[in-house]
Amino acid sequence: MERVFLCKVSELEVNQVRKVANDKYGDIAVYNLGGSFYATADLCTHATASLAEGDIEDDLITCPVHWGQFHIPTGKAQGFPCEIDLKTYSVEIKSEDIFALIEADSELIAKG
Amino acid sequence: MGNKIKTIDVTGSLDNLKDFCDIEEGRIAGRIFYDQAIYEQELEKVFARCWLFVAHESQIPNTGDYITTTMGEDEVIVIRQKSGGIKVFLNACPHRGNKVCFSESGTTRGFICNYHGWSFNVEGNLVGQHESGVYEDSNFDKSKWGLKEVAQVDSWKGLVFATFDPDAPTLKEYLGPITWYMDAVFDNQEGGTEFVGGCIRSTYECNWKIAAENFVGDILHAGWTHDSAARAMLGGSVAKVSDFSESYSVNWNGHGYEFALDTVGNVAVLGESALNKYVHTIKPSVADRLGDFRSNMIGSVSSCTVFPNFSFLPGQNTVRVWQPRGPNKMELFTWVVVNKSAPEEVKEKWRKGAMMTFSPTGVFEMDDGENWEYCTKTARGRVTAQQDLFIGLGMDSLIKDTQLPGNVYKGQLNEANSRAFYQYWYDMLNSKSWAQVPNRNVGKLEGE
Amino acid sequence: MMNAIKENNNLIRPTPVDFETYYRICNFLNYEYRLLDEERLNAWLELMAEDIHYWMPGIENRRRENPLQHGFYAEDHMAFFDDRLRDLKRRVARFEQPSAWAENPATRNVHTVSNIEAYAGGCDGEFIVHSVIQSVRSRGLDEQSVIYGRRKDTLVRDADSFKIKSRLILIPNATLTCKNINTFL
Repeated sequence: MERVFLCKVSELEVNQVRKVANDKYGDIAVYNLGGSFYATADLCTHATASLAEGDIEDDLITCPVHWGQFHIPTGKAQGFPCEIDLKTYSVEIKSEDIFALIEADSELIAKG
Repeated sequence: MGNKIKTIDVTGSLDNLKDFCDIEEGRIAGRIFYDQAIYEQELEKVFARCWLFVAHESQIPNTGDYITTTMGEDEVIVIRQKSGGIKVFLNACPHRGNKVCFSESGTTRGFICNYHGWSFNVEGNLVGQHESGVYEDSNFDKSKWGLKEVAQVDSWKGLVFATFDPDAPTLKEYLGPITWYMDAVFDNQEGGTEFVGGCIRSTYECNWKIAAENFVGDILHAGWTHDSAARAMLGGSVAKVSDFSESYSVNWNGHGYEFALDTVGNVAVLGESALNKYVHTIKPSVADRLGDFRSNMIGSVSSCTVFPNFSFLPGQNTVRVWQPRGPNKMELFTWVVVNKSAPEEVKEKWRKGAMMTFSPTGVFEMDDGENWEYCTKTARGRVTAQQDLFIGLGMDSLIKDTQLPGNVYKGQLNEANSRAFYQYWYDMLNSKSWAQVPNRNVGKLEGE
Repeated sequence: MMNAIKENNNLIRPTPVDFETYYRICNFLNYEYRLLDEERLNAWLELMAEDIHYWMPGIENRRRENPLQHGFYAEDHMAFFDDRLRDLKRRVARFEQPSAWAENPATRNVHTVSNIEAYAGGCDGEFIVHSVIQSVRSRGLDEQSVIYGRRKDTLVRDADSFKIKSRLILIPNATLTCKNINTFL
C-alpha cells in the first residue's frame, strides 16, 4: 500500500473535482462531495478523456467527451457509453492533506 | 476560442439589377424572383450579412437547451450557455463538415459528430474525438477546431437575432425605431412574451421576398384575397381598410410595420370572443405602459417584417421566418407568440386560433400560398420576367411633420413599405461593405 | 414510430371486432373518403359526432433521449388541426365561398385508406380503428402533392352506420412537403 498526496483540503471546494498527475498509477481525480472526499482514476474507462474536466451532478461524474457517468463513491459505470467501472481509491485526510491509499497491484492495472 | 467567423467575403455584382428593380420609378420585375444568379448574391450579401431571427429566448430557457434553424441556407445551432448567454454555431463539424445536430430542439451536454466522433461541448469547444491518440501524434491543436461561431448574437425583448458578419451594425442600430412599434406585440405586458411549443414547417414553391413583402406592408391584398376566410370566420367580409380614419405605414432599413389603430381587427378574425375580451382587458395597462397610441395597436389590422425574412401578425400572434431554399422555393417556419402573463386558456385559444387562420391548414393562408407561388412561377418565362410590375402606390405620402419615429407614411393602403423593402434589398446587393449601404432613412429615431 | 398509439394499446388487450362489424367499418371509412373526393363536405360533416376531436399534431424531429409528451408530438404544442365541430364547420364554410380563389379551378382529390384494424372500444358501440391513409391532390395543370399518414379513430355506432368521435392523424414529416393542406385527412 502506498500513500499518494493529492492536494490540500483548502484547494478543493465543495462539489469540485481536480486532476492530480501520477505517472506510476495513472492520473487521479479527487472530488469534494459536500465535504466528503473521494478519489478515482481520472481517465474515463470508455475513451481518452479526463474526468476532472467533466461536471459533477449529485454523486455522479459526467465524462466531458461522451457524457457517460460514473458513481463517484463506488466508481460504478452509470450510463451509455460507459460500461467498465472506474477504479476508486480510499482517501485519507491527515490534518490539511488529502491522500489516496493505493494497493500494490494497482500499478499493474493502471498500466494494463 | 478564436473560432468566431472573422470576415464575410462578397464577390461578384449584378450590373443590370436596376433593370429589374427601379424603386424611384415605382417598378420591379419578376426576374428578381426567379434568377439563380440574383439568389446566390442574396445568400452572400443579404443572408450572410444581415441580422436574422434565430430563436425566442423562451424556447431555450436553461443551460444546454438548444434549437436548430437556418440562417439563409446555413444550418445553425442556437444554444443556451452556462453563463446564461446564447451562442450560435454552424451546424457542421469542422472535420468533414457533417451535420453535428440532427434534432430540431432538445437539451444536451454537447454534440458528437456521427462520422468520426468529434465531440463538442455546449460552448462549442472540441473536447474529444474517437481514437484521440492519433490526433495527438499529428500535433493537433484541439483549441482551433471548435464549432464555428456566428460573429454576433443579440436579443431584443426575447427575440434572438444573429449575424454572420462581424462588421454588421449593432442589432439596435439595425432595427432602429421599428422596435418602438414592435413593443405593441412584444412588450405590452410585464414579463414579455413566450412561444407556444413546437414549430410548423411547410414548403412553398415561391420566392422568399414575395412573402416577406406581403407582411412588410401589403394589407391591400387582405380584403380581396382573404374574403372567403373572413366570411367563414366572421360571417362577413374583412374590415374595409380604406374606411379607417387613421392608419400608417412605417419603415426603417427595409423593415416595415403597417397598422391601423382599431385595437382588435386582427384578433377578431380568429373568431374567439375570449381573445377580443382579453385584448380589451389588458388595453388600459398597455396604455399605461406604452401610451394610448400604441395601446391601439396590440391586435389591430397590421403586419410587420424585419428585413429580410422575419415577420409577424399582431393579434393573430403568428410569427414566422421565410427561409430561402433557392430562387423559387421557400420553407416557412411558423410559431405562435403569447404574453407570458396571459391566462392559460387565452394562450390555448391563441395556439388554436393561429393554426386555424395562419398556418398550412389556416383558412387565410390557403389563399396566400397560391398567389405567392404563381407570382414566382410566371417569371419562368424570360419575357414575363422582364415585364414591369407596378409598385407605386402612395409615392408622395411621406409625413414630414410627425412625432412618430421612423419613416412614416400616411395610410396602410400604400406600397411605401414594399418599396423600402426592395430598396434596402437592392442597396445590400449593390454594397460590398456596410459603409457603402446608403442611408435612406428620413424620419427620426425613437425619442428624437 | 407511433408512440402514443402503441402506449394506448398496451393499456387494454385489444379485442378485434367481428367480421360483420369490420366490414361495416371499412365501408364507412371508404364512404367517408369518397365524400371528400366528391367535394360533398356538408355530408362529410354529418359523419362527425357532436363532440368530435379532430387532431393532427405538428411533428417534431427530436432525439430519442429528449422525447415530448408522445415522443415526437405533444398536446399543447402547435398542430395542423386541433379542431372541434365548430372549427371543422368554419373550414368547410371557407371552401364553399365563391371567393375561395384558390379552390377555383377545383382541387382534384384522391383519398385512400388501408391497413384497417378495428377493435372494441371503451364502451358498447364504440370502436377503436387504426388505419393508414394517403391523400393525393392535384391543382392547376401540373401540381401534385401527396400526404401519407397513420390514423387512429374512435367511431361510435349511429343507427346502422357510425360517427367519428375522435381522430388522430400522424404524418411522418417534420416539414410538410407542400404549402398547405386544403383537404381533410
